[in-house]
Amino acid sequence: MRNEQFTFVTLDESASEHISAPQYSYWRSVFRKFFSSKVTIVIMIVAVTVVGFSMIYPLFSDYSPVKAPNINNLDMWFNKPSLKFWFGTDDKGNSLFDAVWAGLRVSILIAAISTVITTVVGVAVGAFWGYSKKIDRLMMEVYNIISNVPFQLLVIIIMYVIGRGFWQLIFALSITSWLGTAYFIRIQVMIIRDREHNLASRCLGTPMYRMILRNILPYMISVIVTLVSRDIPAFISLEVFLSYLGIGLNQSTPSIGRMISSYNSFMINYPYLFWLPVVTLAIVTISLYVVGQALADASDPKTHM
Amino acid sequence: MEKNVILSARDIVVNFRVRSRILTAIRNVSVDLIEGETLAIVGESGSGKSVLTKTFTAMLDENGTVSQGKIFFEGRDLLTIKNNKEWEQIRGAKIATVFQDPMTSLNPIRTIGSQITEVIIKHQKKSKGEAKNMAIDLMNKVGIADAEERFDEYPFQYSGGMRQRIVIAIALACHPKILICDEPTTALDVTIQAQIIELIKSLQKDFGFTTVYITHDLGVVASVADKVAVMYAGQIVEYGTVEDIFYDSKHPYTWALLSSLPQLGIKGQFLFSIPGTPPSLYNEVKGDAFAPRNPFALKIDYEEEPPFFQISETHFAKTWLLDPRAPKTEMPEFIRNLHDKISKKVAVGGDFYVQ
Amino acid sequence: MSNKVLLSLRDVQVTFDVGHKKKFVAVSDVNFDIYEGETFALVGESGSGKTTIGRAIVRINETSHGDILYDGKKINGKLSKADDVEVIRNIQMIFQDPAASLNERATIDYIVSEGLINFKLFENDEDRRAKVRKALADVGLLAEHMTRYPHEFSGGQRQRIGIARALIMEPKLVVADEPISALDVSIRAQVLNLLKELQNKKNLTYLFIAHDLSVVRFISDRIAVIHLGRIVELAETEELFKHPLHPYTKSLLSAVPLPDPIYERGKKLFKYDESVHDYSILKPGFIEVKKGHFVWANEVEADQYKKELKK
Repeated sequence: MRNEQFTFVTLDESASEHISAPQYSYWRSVFRKFFSSKVTIVIMIVAVTVVGFSMIYPLFSDYSPVKAPNINNLDMWFNKPSLKFWFGTDDKGNSLFDAVWAGLRVSILIAAISTVITTVVGVAVGAFWGYSKKIDRLMMEVYNIISNVPFQLLVIIIMYVIGRGFWQLIFALSITSWLGTAYFIRIQVMIIRDREHNLASRCLGTPMYRMILRNILPYMISVIVTLVSRDIPAFISLEVFLSYLGIGLNQSTPSIGRMISSYNSFMINYPYLFWLPVVTLAIVTISLYVVGQALADASDPKTHM
Repeated sequence: MEKNVILSARDIVVNFRVRSRILTAIRNVSVDLIEGETLAIVGESGSGKSVLTKTFTAMLDENGTVSQGKIFFEGRDLLTIKNNKEWEQIRGAKIATVFQDPMTSLNPIRTIGSQITEVIIKHQKKSKGEAKNMAIDLMNKVGIADAEERFDEYPFQYSGGMRQRIVIAIALACHPKILICDEPTTALDVTIQAQIIELIKSLQKDFGFTTVYITHDLGVVASVADKVAVMYAGQIVEYGTVEDIFYDSKHPYTWALLSSLPQLGIKGQFLFSIPGTPPSLYNEVKGDAFAPRNPFALKIDYEEEPPFFQISETHFAKTWLLDPRAPKTEMPEFIRNLHDKISKKVAVGGDFYVQ
Repeated sequence: MSNKVLLSLRDVQVTFDVGHKKKFVAVSDVNFDIYEGETFALVGESGSGKTTIGRAIVRINETSHGDILYDGKKINGKLSKADDVEVIRNIQMIFQDPAASLNERATIDYIVSEGLINFKLFENDEDRRAKVRKALADVGLLAEHMTRYPHEFSGGQRQRIGIARALIMEPKLVVADEPISALDVSIRAQVLNLLKELQNKKNLTYLFIAHDLSVVRFISDRIAVIHLGRIVELAETEELFKHPLHPYTKSLLSAVPLPDPIYERGKKLFKYDESVHDYSILKPGFIEVKKGHFVWANEVEADQYKKELKK
């Protein structure tokens, strides 16, 4: 050590306000978090493949529950799964493979459309409901009356009234579900409505619509994704259940529910007829749910840090 | 009078794994706790003061490890203890901690009484009846009125100050040798804070434990401490008696802390503030960590870490300014004669100040 | 500090509904004036109602009784749209918790521009951005920060963003609700200095809400002490510290630990005992016992205080 090292150094007082970290982008962080788990990626690939296949394949397979070209050919009935017919054949000589994917396509479409309607309407209503105390007073009266009626019962009654069918079912599902979504959103909004940053915005005179758009909704993304990831499998299951009871879709529309219901009786002799639709259905609902939950987690900014 | 060293930490290094990087929160710290005394550890957030005391009770977060060092207590090195069961004999029973937020320290769905008796039964193997009596006795000692009735109440029925008293009671239930108070009054009102500080002082006289008090408030330090350790960027930069630190400090960081006291502020002028921010402890620190913010920095501060220089039997500072080769540097005029400057502003007369 | 009264509170009371027809009176009998250019401190502990008063002034809370007058005009209760805009342009608030007072999902650009956008206070986008840049520069932040998000900043920087957001509206009165309590000790001085600098530059009037008496002594011209919803004492700063009269004020001052070991060794804590007040016969009011020095007391106590001051 030399003595000259013991001399004063002038202090550079310019505090470094400069931030050296790269720019933060919400959506980029969401996708980074989402893709950070290998398991999630695998399940997502499964979900995308299955859903994609169910959308495309039935367009080419030319399957319809009322068309049975092989109905008179007893050799074609009840064939076990083989290389020719991957899922075997059903009680009418049709390929079970075709039937299952056609049924799935219908189920997924019904669930997706119902979810979109339910979520859009539910979030819009719920946001205003939670934010405005006046609207809350009115809506709570409405909600207290309607929510006492059991959901499934309501759907069944509506289906009886308007008849069976694809769009009828979508209508019934959406109209009974949006209120629940709205209520859930209302609670979430009420939780964050009085946070300091929202008070600050009010202090600056921000009008209600912009409060909802920029202060409230961005915080709801994770919650909304959770709702969607829960609704889609729920609607699929509900459609299957209703068709199982014979209420949902009409005879000319392919339906997994009806399949499972009618093949129930073949469980001992031809178990594949029952289990293959059930398992395929399970793969779809579970993978969609898992992907939805992972996306919900990833949308929560707290997981980005 | 020979004072007993009750706990001796030597050359502690603590690392945290944060995603793929390593944060060195404690960089080679040694400190002794003298039996019956109160040591105040003071520093900014991020200085490591909480982390250091967590090593005494193995309460570091999951991603933290003590990668080096020894902690001597009751004749053994605590860091050699590997299984949790052994730590449970120490934690709560011999070394207890009081944390900042009483609401999260207490279980909201269990009665106050049961939370105290649980600790007593676990460590002292008393019966439920005996434990209850001991608990009520403790509640009285920490100043809870109507302890018998309030025994079965829940935390939400207690005010913040009272909850903190209960946390202290739980900590003292097994008569620990060392009580670590980690910013116990930061979340409390100033009048409640004063009462809690008074309580801890009187309990220390009655029970005879050694206190470690972590705080960022120099007023609290002046009120409670016998010895003070000033921490910066994971190291103790100055250590001494409370008089040493307030009236005769030697480290530029201590000077900076004292200079920014609002009590020294002159109306109409700006307050002294330390420019810049503490260094990131993800990177290895070259030289003195305080150098970039130190108006008294020497060239060597940027190159080599200063050793501890001994000023008196109880007073040490880690700064090159104390090296014989360094230019003679006095404490800034602003913080000299601190006692005169501060007491002059206190109200004279009135029945509530004692001169 | 001029002699013009900028803000005036007269017998203000704020009440909250707490479930089935039960009401909680948060503050009552609040009377004080704030003069143009001064820093007026409102000091109290948690639950004292100080934040409630601050929020009532910026119209986040509603008053249940009394008047709040800004520049002579009543600003509490129902206001016309034009008057509401006036209040927002003239009175702004700085919030306590830098972690909660900024919209995490908005850029700094939007956060600081929000007030401007609400009232279209700019000519075009370039003009707006220039205003934001200037507001950020005033608080020591850089233009490059405009595209960042709040969580990328430190506590002190976030608080400065909050200050920029309030001051870009060019208010005359700023209600600062515990602006430094949530900050790290070494950052507090920086933010205090900034507030002082901005006050000088822009001729601002501050209502400084705080619980830390040592800081308050340094920055304020006059102090009001509030306890359980009532202002118990009001005086010029040095007068309050040298001659505190109300026993609550004394207990508050006594409780603050001074960074002076010799002093702290000999100190005896003064505890506030509510039972020393007997308001069964003579009701208390806000009495001026000396010019500019007010205490909440009844006549008997007021006489005692006057005697104390003469000593």
